[in-house]
Amino acid sequence: MICFKDLSFTYKGEKAPALSEINLTVEDGGFLGIIGPAGAGKTTLARAITGMIPHHYTGDFYGSVAVNGLDTVDTSIDEISRMVGMVFQDVESQIISPLVEDEILYGLENFGVPREEIPQRMAEALQKVGIADLQERSIASLSGGQRQKVAIASIIALKPQVLVLDEPTGELDPRSSRQIFSLLKELNEEQGITVILIEQKIMLLCEFAKQLAVVSGGKIIRQGNTRDVLAHADELQALGVNCPRVTTLSRMLSEKTGAAQPVCINLEEAEKMVRRLIG
Amino acid sequence: MITLENVSFAYADQGPSVQDVSFRLEKGEFAAILGANGAGKTTTVRLMDGLLKPTSGRVLINDMDTVKSQVSERARKVGFLFQNPDRQICKNTVREEILFGLRTVRGDEGEEALQARTDEVLKDFHFTGDEEPFSLSRGQRQRVALASILAVEPEILILDEPTTGLDYLECCHIMDRIRKMNEEKQVTVIMVCHDMEVVLDYARRALVMAGGRLLADGPVKEIFRNTELMEKASILPPQMIGLGLRLGDGFENADTPEGMAEAVMARRGKGGAGA
Ligand SMILES: Nc1ncnc2c1ncn2[C@@H]1O[C@H](COP(=O)(O)OP(=O)(O)O)[C@@H](O)[C@H]1O
Ligand SMILES: Nc1ncnc2c1ncn2[C@@H]1O[C@H](COP(=O)(O)OP(=O)(O)O)[C@@H](O)[C@H]1O
Ligand SMILES: [Mg+2]
Ligand SMILES: [Mg+2]
Repeated sequence: MICFKDLSFTYKGEKAPALSEINLTVEDGGFLGIIGPAGAGKTTLARAITGMIPHHYTGDFYGSVAVNGLDTVDTSIDEISRMVGMVFQDVESQIISPLVEDEILYGLENFGVPREEIPQRMAEALQKVGIADLQERSIASLSGGQRQKVAIASIIALKPQVLVLDEPTGELDPRSSRQIFSLLKELNEEQGITVILIEQKIMLLCEFAKQLAVVSGGKIIRQGNTRDVLAHADELQALGVNCPRVTTLSRMLSEKTGAAQPVCINLEEAEKMVRRLIG
Repeated sequence: MITLENVSFAYADQGPSVQDVSFRLEKGEFAAILGANGAGKTTTVRLMDGLLKPTSGRVLINDMDTVKSQVSERARKVGFLFQNPDRQICKNTVREEILFGLRTVRGDEGEEALQARTDEVLKDFHFTGDEEPFSLSRGQRQRVALASILAVEPEILILDEPTTGLDYLECCHIMDRIRKMNEEKQVTVIMVCHDMEVVLDYARRALVMAGGRLLADGPVKEIFRNTELMEKASILPPQMIGLGLRLGDGFENADTPEGMAEAVMARRGKGGAGA
């Protein structure tokens, strides 16, 4: 379980806090989507979970963050990293090896995974992300999207209890993005891995995340079940957060029919709603 | 106007990345290139700008063959916005950045004219000019890159995934600005984009690529409604078009939530359902 209690954080040398009074709980097995405009504090929130704040990034830190009951201030980054795996927004700063294979190997060896288990773990991670054919390639020869997939595979190979991903599909095409979201859903449902996913792709996020947190100006403006949060689409749009067009359709039909329509998050639901309305 | 005639291209020691692609963009068009990662989109737009030269076939900017043209001639006509603004920005203030592009391409006009043009662009983009690009957000830096390209007043604007890494409002700012140039100045726009809602909202024509080949070329909505083609190119159409196709029965024509809601209400009005 991840638990933020009244967390406020101001980076050293900055005047304004990057996060203010964050209260947020993510249960084991949760799938939380985080959305918000650029500069809202999403990456800072992720850094607070992994302990990079306050261990790497210093500043004024108030309140607390606990991972599995351990206060991040008193726990080393190393220890937290055994529970929480993170895929960085800036992939370039995450990848340290010149070869794909070595990048995956590095983490596994670091975690003391037994030698005989390693080939299997590596093959499985690459295959799950759909890049088995890239195993022997050099990182330099890969496209931005392929590098993002390598970063994801290297973290998944470690089988952390909690996965934090910071805009991991920015350079992926629609099919690959959906593939990654499906993989996260599978890990979440079948292995009970807690997923915390920061994304701008609102349509996919709403389809896959069970909970949603909307961040703006360093605060959590709304959090709750995805559908409940989307019921406040007007408010989100005022903050500059888009919502899926099927959700907009729900809202418009509620207004036009004068009867509350369900908040739709995918095409199946929208089709059902329309068919019911036209009889 | 840009013309590609049977263009193929292969990187060194590789099979062809673009194969036998032909199309022509008229002045004032707004087209999008769609396709999966590796389909050959970036290679195609680099060929259009003359950054790459075709292995076979011809690329003409107006009537000028890119193989025979000078970089300076092309830079005057074609602006290229990369996915990552940091590949483009090289100066320490926004004013210097804009002036730098202008001096390179329109140096013959004299310093006074270029300073005046810079002032105009700064005002238009709501920059003071003193901002330091590298302390701005990614979305702001993308606006700096776009401002310095538009400062030159190119006839043709090429955008390779211009909204990657931007949030929704930043994406709207960039795209609205580009639409304005297209509508008011008849700038020809071609963009590579993975967000089909953005393509639907802004582009009028779509070129679909797969495996280096041009699979289809037509009006955006027609292309999105071609289910077989969309599957072949691994593209999911925008939500309202997808919904319209599922519903059939006249709903295929709606492509916005507004349009869809109206179509639903019209059907109810006809007494189709117990309202
Ligand atoms: N390393 C840092 N040092 C100082 N300020 C930072 C640092 N990283 C982020 N910030 C600031 O913190 C705020 C939140 O940033 P961030 O968490 O990166 O937002 P988001 O991920 O939502 O775009 C911004 O104002 C940003 O400028
Ligand atoms: N600089 C390069 N050197 C060698 N091969 C390249 C280079 N850039 C792209 N390719 C290859 O060309 C093909 C098309 O790539 P690209 O035009 O970048 O596709 P897209 O932009 O549609 O993702 C891919 O197979 C890619 O691996
Ligand atoms: Mg961020
Ligand atoms: Mg590309």
